[in-house]
Amino acid sequence: MRAELLKGHLDGILLAVLEPGPRHGYAIMEALRDRSAGQVDLPTGTIYPALHRLERAGLVRASWSTAGGRRRRVYELTPAGRRALDSERSTWRDFSAAVTTLLQPLPLTASPQ
Amino acid sequence: MNWPAAPASGAQSAVERYLSEVAARLPGSPRAHSDIVAELHAGLVDAADAHCAAGLRPAEAVQAAIDEFGDPARVADGFRAEIAASLARRCAVAVLVTGPLVGMLWIITAVASHVPPQHHQWADLSPGLQVGVPLIAIAAGVTACGALFGIAATGRLTRWLPALLRRAPAAAAVAGFGAVGADALGLALLGVQLATAAGKLSPWPAAAAAAASIVRLMLARRAARRCLAIRAGLT
Repeated sequence: MRAELLKGHLDGILLAVLEPGPRHGYAIMEALRDRSAGQVDLPTGTIYPALHRLERAGLVRASWSTAGGRRRRVYELTPAGRRALDSERSTWRDFSAAVTTLLQPLPLTASPQ
Repeated sequence: MNWPAAPASGAQSAVERYLSEVAARLPGSPRAHSDIVAELHAGLVDAADAHCAAGLRPAEAVQAAIDEFGDPARVADGFRAEIAASLARRCAVAVLVTGPLVGMLWIITAVASHVPPQHHQWADLSPGLQVGVPLIAIAAGVTACGALFGIAATGRLTRWLPALLRRAPAAAAVAGFGAVGADALGLALLGVQLATAAGKLSPWPAAAAAAASIVRLMLARRAARRCLAIRAGLT
């Protein structure tokens, strides 16, 4: 799936990936690929600025943690992030329902005279 | 794969090369974005591990990780706005917090030096103070407005108004230069008082206020210039 198609939805997708629990950057990327069955495959490097943007907006919290001798920056949803995810979900449901309806082929009506 | 503990190898230097290409495109000092580079480094190691586990040889796995991360210019572009936002926010917060502290030192100096007139008659103030005090008030007002806008434009509000973010560095620069103006005016008034009525001046509060203003003036000027420089780099 092309990156342009995801534009505007990346924030919601990242929040959804973090919903089950905290993850570090690369684990977020892997979860994104797994959950979309490989359909979503962005340049991994672009995930990190997006996560920093979410952190500044107060939707995720980041902290350095060390596991197996490696320091990683781990992200988790804040209460505001959970609320934002809920609203992204309902916005997407309405939007996708409307677009699905609009893209459906219309039955052919009587030709103009 | 277990590096950076492993000795320097071609694979490791490929990662270093990639990271330095990203870092070279980030605005500000290397120290300011060391956390970003460390986070990307950890991600690249994780990615290389994943490719290794999938069956690639170490050198191929590292190259696959680098390819997966994408164009260094694009990664740096993504971070540029965030770095600008955090610089603008720090400048605005610093100016807003230090303003009342330095102002309080000047007020203490004025009170200790019996500058406020006996019956609070404005006309009893020296001409220098009559001009200088309103100018300081204006500079402080401009500073506070710029700083508050800078803080608002880099906070949660940007979720709904993302366009605000682009204006934050300019607002923070206005706040910084406003602080420079307010401090310079305070020091100038002190100079006038020293020249005309040095005997009345209470020396210790005046010295403390002057020292605080000089330090704040220099730091605010540097921060404001950085905000302007980073603003110029935003597209």
